[in-house]
Amino acid sequence: MANRLLDVKNLEVAYGDVGALWGVSIHVDPGTIVAIVGANGAGKTTLLKTISGLLKPRRGEVLLAGVPLAGKAPEEIAGMGIAHVPEGRGLFRQMTVLENLELGAFQPKVRKHFKQSLEKAYVLFPRLKERAGQKAGSLSGGEQQMLAIARATMSDPSLLILDEPSLGLSPIVVQQMFALIETLHKQGVTILLVEQNIHQALKVADYGFVLKTGELAMQGTGAELIADPEIQKAYMGVLEVQ
Amino acid sequence: MQAIPPPEILLQLSLNGALGGAMYGVAAVGLSLIFGTMRLIFLAQGAMIILAAYFVRALFYGLGIDPFLSLLIVVPVGLGVGWLVYQGLFRRAAAEEDRNISLLIAVGLMFLVQNLMTVVWGGNTAAVVTSYTASGIEILGVRTSFTRSMGFLIALAGTGLVVLFLRKTLVGKAVRAASEDMEAATLMGISPHRVNAIAFAIGIALAGAAGVAVATTFPFNPFAGFIFSLKALVALALGGIGNVAGALAGGIILGLIEAYVQYFISGGWTNAIAYGVFLAVLMFKPEGLFSRPYKKA
Amino acid sequence: MLKQAVPKQAWMWIAIAVVAALALLPLLPGAIDSYAFSFLFFVFIYAIMAQGWNLVAGFGGQISLGNHAFFGLGAYTTAILWSGNYLWGSLYDAYPRIYYFDPVTMVLGGLVAAVAAIIIGLPLLSKLRGDYFALGTLGFGEIVKVMFINGGDFTGGAFGVVAPAGTFDTLLPHYLVGLGLMVGVALAIRLLMRSRYGLALIAVRDDEMAASANGIDVLRVKVAAFAGSAFIAGIAGSLYTYYIFHVGPDSVFDLDWMLLPLMMTVVGGTGTLLGPILGAFVMYAVFDLARIVVPDYHPVISGLTIILAMLFLPKGLMRSFGGRVRVV
Ligand SMILES: Nc1ncnc2c1ncn2[C@@H]1O[C@H](COP(=O)(O)OP(=O)(O)O)[C@@H](O)[C@H]1O
Ligand SMILES: [Mg+2]
Repeated sequence: MANRLLDVKNLEVAYGDVGALWGVSIHVDPGTIVAIVGANGAGKTTLLKTISGLLKPRRGEVLLAGVPLAGKAPEEIAGMGIAHVPEGRGLFRQMTVLENLELGAFQPKVRKHFKQSLEKAYVLFPRLKERAGQKAGSLSGGEQQMLAIARATMSDPSLLILDEPSLGLSPIVVQQMFALIETLHKQGVTILLVEQNIHQALKVADYGFVLKTGELAMQGTGAELIADPEIQKAYMGVLEVQ
Repeated sequence: MQAIPPPEILLQLSLNGALGGAMYGVAAVGLSLIFGTMRLIFLAQGAMIILAAYFVRALFYGLGIDPFLSLLIVVPVGLGVGWLVYQGLFRRAAAEEDRNISLLIAVGLMFLVQNLMTVVWGGNTAAVVTSYTASGIEILGVRTSFTRSMGFLIALAGTGLVVLFLRKTLVGKAVRAASEDMEAATLMGISPHRVNAIAFAIGIALAGAAGVAVATTFPFNPFAGFIFSLKALVALALGGIGNVAGALAGGIILGLIEAYVQYFISGGWTNAIAYGVFLAVLMFKPEGLFSRPYKKA
Repeated sequence: MLKQAVPKQAWMWIAIAVVAALALLPLLPGAIDSYAFSFLFFVFIYAIMAQGWNLVAGFGGQISLGNHAFFGLGAYTTAILWSGNYLWGSLYDAYPRIYYFDPVTMVLGGLVAAVAAIIIGLPLLSKLRGDYFALGTLGFGEIVKVMFINGGDFTGGAFGVVAPAGTFDTLLPHYLVGLGLMVGVALAIRLLMRSRYGLALIAVRDDEMAASANGIDVLRVKVAAFAGSAFIAGIAGSLYTYYIFHVGPDSVFDLDWMLLPLMMTVVGGTGTLLGPILGAFVMYAVFDLARIVVPDYHPVISGLTIILAMLFLPKGLMRSFGGRVRVV
């Protein structure tokens, strides 16, 4: 509890009058991968958007390294070290790969180190170097997801949020994606990962939370959750068959 | 209908159409920027252009400043005014989900500016007449007006500078990013208010440049702006909403259409045909005439 | 979750009381000749226009910037039918007043506008979304205007059409028809918005994809709202013809017939039933007052009022002061 990187307490979020999250609390310790899993519509995206400031909570609070984020605009929160790769990737499709990466390092703090960050990113994502001048929208689905993650790492974030990075990718690319997540983890990046690919996600995660229709249903280490019979029954059976 | 005219006439028509259309184009570039980040149809753009024209006229007759030289004053003032207009009038509305609010503020601003001009300068037609207003120059063997040609150069230079800004500077790239996906842009740490204010500042500065071109070329009155806004919208759609260089090209195409329709059909139909082309483009090529679709993944 | 516009009970009683007072107003001695009477007549016309715009934009979420064209179409239809005596043949000679507030003529005015809306709406709404639709309707309005200017003898060109006039010397029928139409349109929209169609319209506005997934024919719902909006505008145009008699392109296709109702709706409260009416009363009063008190500056004041209203009352009067107007 001492030095939590992210602490979300009793979060309650609504779209207009319609509630989407009720009293959700999660936490992320520095250097770990934390997975949030749950069925479609459980509220995972809503939770992530509230953390990065895109949605305002009705109740509850979000603390980043002990600092409350209440009332902060998303661009301020980004400046405080949270990099959020949204569902659907949020690439600037009309802009080139290189331009996307430059915008990843838009914040004045990290702008100075752009050259080094870019080199680092190219080492991790060599394909992007080859395609630097191409429009982001012209990349394949897997490359686009890599670009979205690479762009997020350009700001050297203290917390990297990934919303369903494996969505719509072929199984081989999904494997590469999870390998990449582990590589980033080894480099010391703290990751908050949302996935419907529950088995994979819990396998790489140090800790996991299960969301069910807007409420926290369960939590535990990745291994505990994978072994939980209820989770196996409710989620993984279906997914293994796919 | 006329018979096929001799080539000199065609060339003359094309040249005049293109030169005049560039003014719609430069207005459209401003609209394009503002629409890009704010999703706002800034209907007051035309009124701002006419306001700038009156300002240029006042500088000329009041202080003896040459209209083209006054660009050095009008453009920086436009930048400042645009910034202030955003901060004072649109900042709050930009945060609202309901975009009618911004649209109506633009309409209110249009009413306000038009009528303030009427109060200050009267409703009659005004013009700026200099020693070179009537002089002509020869381009491609065709004689055309010197001021129109200058207007064209202003449009070209203004658009060129904007394109350079958008392509070469990080802030410019942030504006483009915000135009494409504001939410994703904020996740990069880009402030919506900052890019909106920049778009407004540049948009009104371009209105200032267009005002110089208008003041030196046409007689104008306080209410001429609205039709200018409409024409700029047509140019915007022709060029592809969000495509800045396309907006200038769209304006030039609109100018050509108008010149040809006027000559071959009749002056009374120019507007209908221009808007007809506009509707057709919106329906069949909403991404504009110049978009090159890339292979989708 | 669907939201339906149903005024709170209290609002309904206030509305009924106001309508009753307005209906009884002509009984007041001197009222008919007073300025208030023609003032109210214009309020009614604007309220009808605002209601029409609110149907497509407020409830339907499709911003039309072409409703002045439908107003003009209704006005021209009425003037042309009347001046050419296309409807009533020899009956016209027997009853020279037959075209006055003739329901057939007025409905035809609305229908012509509605048909135009369907013709333009089908391609526009199937292809264009949001702002593109708004721009398209703006272009459409300009095209219609130019077509009428170039319409030759049939439309009277740049001068327009003059309806044979002179049989009424009081505004009483105008007033009563205007009031009746304003109330009738509001009641019709209230019924409509409580019907299955109304629910479908709101569903389309709030989430088109979800609506379509639930089996709603999105295009049909939108085009119907657009046509309904045009019909209402056409009727308003028809009503205006009985007041102005001379229908010309610059008067009935004036953009103010689109901008002012739009503004009134937003000031009153978009997507509410009483908002357009309230907005028409308040805004027309402000404009008119400015016109009388500071004649030279009145359009300046109008512009300023719009800006101030949007800055400080962006949700409109109904939503700011009307309590919970929308019931979930
Ligand atoms: N923009 C929105 N407006 C209204 N309701 C929404 C919106 N986005 C999501 N919801 C609702 O909130 C709930 C949670 O959605 P979401 O957070 O996207 O779930 P997940 O990411 O787990 O699939 C769902 O019931 C969804 O329908
Ligand atoms: Mg999601």
